[in-house]
Amino acid sequence: MSHSARAATFVADAERTTWHDETLWFVRQKRDKAVYAVPEFQQLRELASQIKDHTLSRLDEYLQQFEAAARRNGVHVHWAADAQEHNALVLDLIRRHGATRIVKSKSMLTEECHLNPHLIGHGIEVIDTDLGERIIQLREEAPSHLVLPAIHLKKEDVGDTFHRHLGTEKGNHDPQQLTEAARQHLRAKFLAAEVAISGVNFAVAETGGVVICTNEGNADLGVNLAKVHIASMGIEKLIPRLTDLGVFTRLLARSATGQPVTTYTSHYTQPAEGREMHIVIVDNGRTQQLGRPDFRASLKCIRCGACMNTCPVYRRSGGHSYDFTVPGPIGAILSPNIDLKKHSSLPFASTLCGSCTDVCPVKIDIHTQLYKWRQVLAEAGEIPTAKKWSMKFMGRFLASPKAFGLGGKMARTGLRLLPYQLTHATAFNAWAVARELPEPPQQSFRDWYRETVR
Amino acid sequence: MSSSREKILAAAQANKPAQTPLPTIPDFGGDASVERFTQVLGSIGGRVVWVASPQQLVPVLHQLFPEAERIASPLFASSVAVNAQTPTQVLANVDLAVLPGEIGVAENGAVWLPEANMLHRALPTVTQHLVLVLDHRRIVATMHQAYAQLPGTGGYGAFVAGPSKTADIEQSLVIGAHGARSLVVLLY
Ligand code: SF4
Repeated sequence: MSHSARAATFVADAERTTWHDETLWFVRQKRDKAVYAVPEFQQLRELASQIKDHTLSRLDEYLQQFEAAARRNGVHVHWAADAQEHNALVLDLIRRHGATRIVKSKSMLTEECHLNPHLIGHGIEVIDTDLGERIIQLREEAPSHLVLPAIHLKKEDVGDTFHRHLGTEKGNHDPQQLTEAARQHLRAKFLAAEVAISGVNFAVAETGGVVICTNEGNADLGVNLAKVHIASMGIEKLIPRLTDLGVFTRLLARSATGQPVTTYTSHYTQPAEGREMHIVIVDNGRTQQLGRPDFRASLKCIRCGACMNTCPVYRRSGGHSYDFTVPGPIGAILSPNIDLKKHSSLPFASTLCGSCTDVCPVKIDIHTQLYKWRQVLAEAGEIPTAKKWSMKFMGRFLASPKAFGLGGKMARTGLRLLPYQLTHATAFNAWAVARELPEPPQQSFRDWYRETVR
Repeated sequence: MSSSREKILAAAQANKPAQTPLPTIPDFGGDASVERFTQVLGSIGGRVVWVASPQQLVPVLHQLFPEAERIASPLFASSVAVNAQTPTQVLANVDLAVLPGEIGVAENGAVWLPEANMLHRALPTVTQHLVLVLDHRRIVATMHQAYAQLPGTGGYGAFVAGPSKTADIEQSLVIGAHGARSLVVLLY
């Protein structure tokens, strides 16, 4: 199903669409305020971009440096070429400890690998501990945003979900009380968990340590209470030095939610005494993306979500309409790399207004890449037939001044005479579904020009 | 060594672009004032309280947390003894942890808390309320300056900026998600 077909179900509820749009725009405005408060923000973006470019240009070396340092720290390092291997590795580690109860802190990589269903299928209890993640886990949904996984839900939805699963009072939709209920429910899970799984925000080659940023403290609580910590990281999370963190920690939360920094910026370098720490380094298509000069910059992404909050298409179509782990503009670049056919409509889910590129803290040229994907897709014949033919026709039409002149005249007369039912027949004119046609002028621009400019 | 390791490294090497330079990161200067730190911490849900000296802690704490019974701290004779081996059940009942912070960051209200100052790695998040004690002369302007002062990050360490919070339900800010419900920085 195409993005627009899936988005149709979301926009059918006009009120909710408007609310979704406004909520995300509010986050975007908070971002602007936070960003303008830092005089060197543009310089930081440039530095972040250069650090990431440099890291990618020596990725194999930094991976080895990171691995060696982590091993010296007493951390077990594993490598997974794809999602399947990652999941098998994690399950094996869990089984080796005879564990059945797992807490997990937010990780888009484990979502990408579909780790939860894999573990649950093997009889392991997996509890997502980030509040937003827990909410959607209870509802058996996927996250709809990178940073705000339950942004598509209203407090009434959460109230109903908690009433059903956590026994909160029916009709209680108070965010404060619902959060408290989740705190109590999850605290029991934290205290009982044997293994904690986390994602990674940054991996520092120089120290062999990983950095995890959260506001809730769920990663710290889970990891520091459990006997075993398993951190899953994509190879693109690397940065060379500890001092590089100064740049990224200043950019991440400001770009994501407009906060000056996340509440917890935690550095895990060695396991605590008597405990174990494992890092699983995952490729899953990333080295392939590295080999595509036009698209490799997407590997610089630090998953702040700013491009989603600003995207006029994402805000009005909802994260689920993308049907990919990472939705929004950056997801539309990452997904065709994974499955060109399945995600062929995503690079078209953009106005190419460039707002995503403007806010991206690591200066990924998002809208240019979307445009490039469109060309790749057209070449591969992965665009809908109607679009293909109409584009071909338009191209020829616009190339011929005579045809254009005649067409203009026909349109000017036609629009005046044709009945609304015909000009807005959704069967031939999808464009007019939510749009009014312009008032046709009496005169063509050419005629006007001939008369005016002598 | 696993074959996946070799495969990933070989692919990364084969597919990487031409090398680009690694930039040096300037210091950027900035405002390292106590006022800035206090204002930013306030804006993210935390609070600064002054004490005359670290010796004056206990009466101030009694005033701030009259109800706290189970208190853990390396700074004075506290009611719960915590170390790296303390069982989870004991940790789970701590009302208040009072820990020494190392560096304060004025631009974001964060305080660097290394493992050595935590008693147990889980204590700063498992406790209901958290107090960090900080020398006001250790406040720097930005994260760059904070990292420049760190010799390393030890086995574990965290920048803690305010109390645990979430806005996952309709973007309403709620203080006290999983970690500490409140954060006070005691400056001396
Ligand atoms: S592409 Fe840029 S703006 Fe979008 S999530 Fe990644 S880092 Fe943030």
